[in-house]
Amino acid sequence: MISLTSYLLISLFLFVLGLVVMIARKNIVAILLGIELILNAAALNFVAYSRYVTNNLDGHVFSLFIIVVAAAEAAVGLAIVIRFFQIKESTHIDEATQLRN
Amino acid sequence: MFLQVLFLLSATLTIGCGIAVAVTRNLMHSCVFLLGTLIGIAGLYATLGADFVAVTQIMVYVGGIVILMLFAVMLTGGKDFVSRAQNLLGLAPSMGNKWTFALSGLVGVVFILTNVKLLMSVASSLPTKEINNELPSTVNEIGHLLVKDHVLAFELSSVLLLGALVGAAIIARPRKQ
Amino acid sequence: MNQTVVSYLAQYEFFDSLLALFGGNQGLLTFVIFMIFCLAIVGMCATIGGLGTYAERKISADIQARIGPNRVGPYGILQFLADGVKMMTKEDVMPFSADKFLFYLAPMLALVGVFATLAVLPFSTGFTLSDMNVGIFYLIAISSLVGVSVFLGGYASNSKWSMLGGMRGASQIISYEIPVTISILAITLLAGGMGFGTISAHQRGLPTNWFIFHNPFSFIAFFVYFVGALAETNRAPFDLPEAESELVSGYHTEYTGMRFGFFALAEYIEVFVVCGVGAALFLGGSNLPVDLSFDIIPLQLVEVVIFMTKALLLYYVVIWIRWTFPRLRVDQLMSICWKYLTPIAIFNLVGCAIWVVLFNGKSVAQLLMGGGH
Repeated sequence: MISLTSYLLISLFLFVLGLVVMIARKNIVAILLGIELILNAAALNFVAYSRYVTNNLDGHVFSLFIIVVAAAEAAVGLAIVIRFFQIKESTHIDEATQLRN
Repeated sequence: MFLQVLFLLSATLTIGCGIAVAVTRNLMHSCVFLLGTLIGIAGLYATLGADFVAVTQIMVYVGGIVILMLFAVMLTGGKDFVSRAQNLLGLAPSMGNKWTFALSGLVGVVFILTNVKLLMSVASSLPTKEINNELPSTVNEIGHLLVKDHVLAFELSSVLLLGALVGAAIIARPRKQ
Repeated sequence: MNQTVVSYLAQYEFFDSLLALFGGNQGLLTFVIFMIFCLAIVGMCATIGGLGTYAERKISADIQARIGPNRVGPYGILQFLADGVKMMTKEDVMPFSADKFLFYLAPMLALVGVFATLAVLPFSTGFTLSDMNVGIFYLIAISSLVGVSVFLGGYASNSKWSMLGGMRGASQIISYEIPVTISILAITLLAGGMGFGTISAHQRGLPTNWFIFHNPFSFIAFFVYFVGALAETNRAPFDLPEAESELVSGYHTEYTGMRFGFFALAEYIEVFVVCGVGAALFLGGSNLPVDLSFDIIPLQLVEVVIFMTKALLLYYVVIWIRWTFPRLRVDQLMSICWKYLTPIAIFNLVGCAIWVVLFNGKSVAQLLMGGGH
């Protein structure tokens, strides 16, 4: 039988990969990719605990809400990226230094 | 047996594509590898008996978010960023260089070590329940939970989605300067 | 309950003798049965996809008062084999500046996305590969891989036509997914489940029990679904991604040989899948018009024939529409989706919900006949 620890390790690894992407990359879209990885790692943990520890499906509902929030975040984030690109002609995160153009 | 095979395949897909997301130099390829990771996670959900969550994962991520990401990459230059390695302002290249990767790798290693240490102490004392190998369908129960226990969060998420929709439309709208 | 073709066969006596043949190894037997059925279904659908090209040319010839293919085999019916051989022997050209990895990946993704939907398509009550509880939801979700593949195919070719076609295709597919999904949601509301088995069990018996005739809202929902499905599979009059008069041939301009064949095959099979879903959701699926108390395997074959007949009739309508209507403009396409189909679909969903509450889920026919069953 597959143990809870293996799921937790996969989740941990995904989280770290997301963190690496977020720190190493300077492109805003790439950073959003890292955020997706981190959110997915968290959602995986919720479902794994829901199966192995608790006796109900609240974990599933939580990961559904995580997916919903990720969708909203991606939509708004990418809209901001596109607007930023229209102003600066770049998606480099270090060029986002002004609060207004 | 079947579950073990599915688990191994999904885990390999998840981790392999996850590493590829982190190391590939091409943003477009990075997005496509993210697709692989997300499908792998859906497979992991399936091994956990979370059929509804698995399908929702594929629906939202593959059908929505990844295509949005691909669109954003395409509308903001795409492949151009790989060739333009160094910016005029002397900033780090947009897909990272060895210094950023070294820094993030260091952070990652420290993070993994501390968490494995934590996990080792927790894993032995985890309360385990009887695991049944039957994986019953979760759709009905999730439906009940969403409109009973979690109804407030459910309604609020609809407001959140509406806000995100309107906000995204307003932000990305072309403006006259 | 998650029912599969194996759990269906397990209720017969010959299953035990089969099990003995495999030395009591149930896992291996399950694997072998699934293997055989998968191969049969994939082969059948690939043939349908191939014959689809023949049917398309023959029917279009009929509509335009031509003869159509008539050289290879009787009535030219082996034309698709000749085409297939031609495609396989052609040179596989890769544009010099193409993104090689994505260029190879895109046709594969299209085929994966389409073939994965066959796992839940209900050919009959017993012979469904897997009657999952999330059946229709899974089908919608996995078929969105085709949208990704269209986009990647357009991007990777590194050509203007492909790029425009790919962007059009992706935006069209994700836009039309919304009315299609909402009108399917109305049907799951009526059936009380997302599995194809549940949906099909609610439409047993005479055509008056079919969901298309269940109430006025589901009647409209069928047409919303059908129009949306046409657009989702990039069929005319919504074939803007591959509009040959403006974009050469859209996202597969740069593809040659078998890779082009993969895209074409995926498109034709997807049309069949979409028609099959329409038949299963709205037109009663594989149900016999009479309720029989016994169940034998030949009866399942009859059910398969009924299902295929309904699906292929819809397939005929799709081809008929293609050769009858002119192509739309991009802005018209988007305004049809967002200004007309989506509001109508939402209206249908609310209407169906109110109907279920008001009339306790009874159909029009049941109300007219008084009380119903």
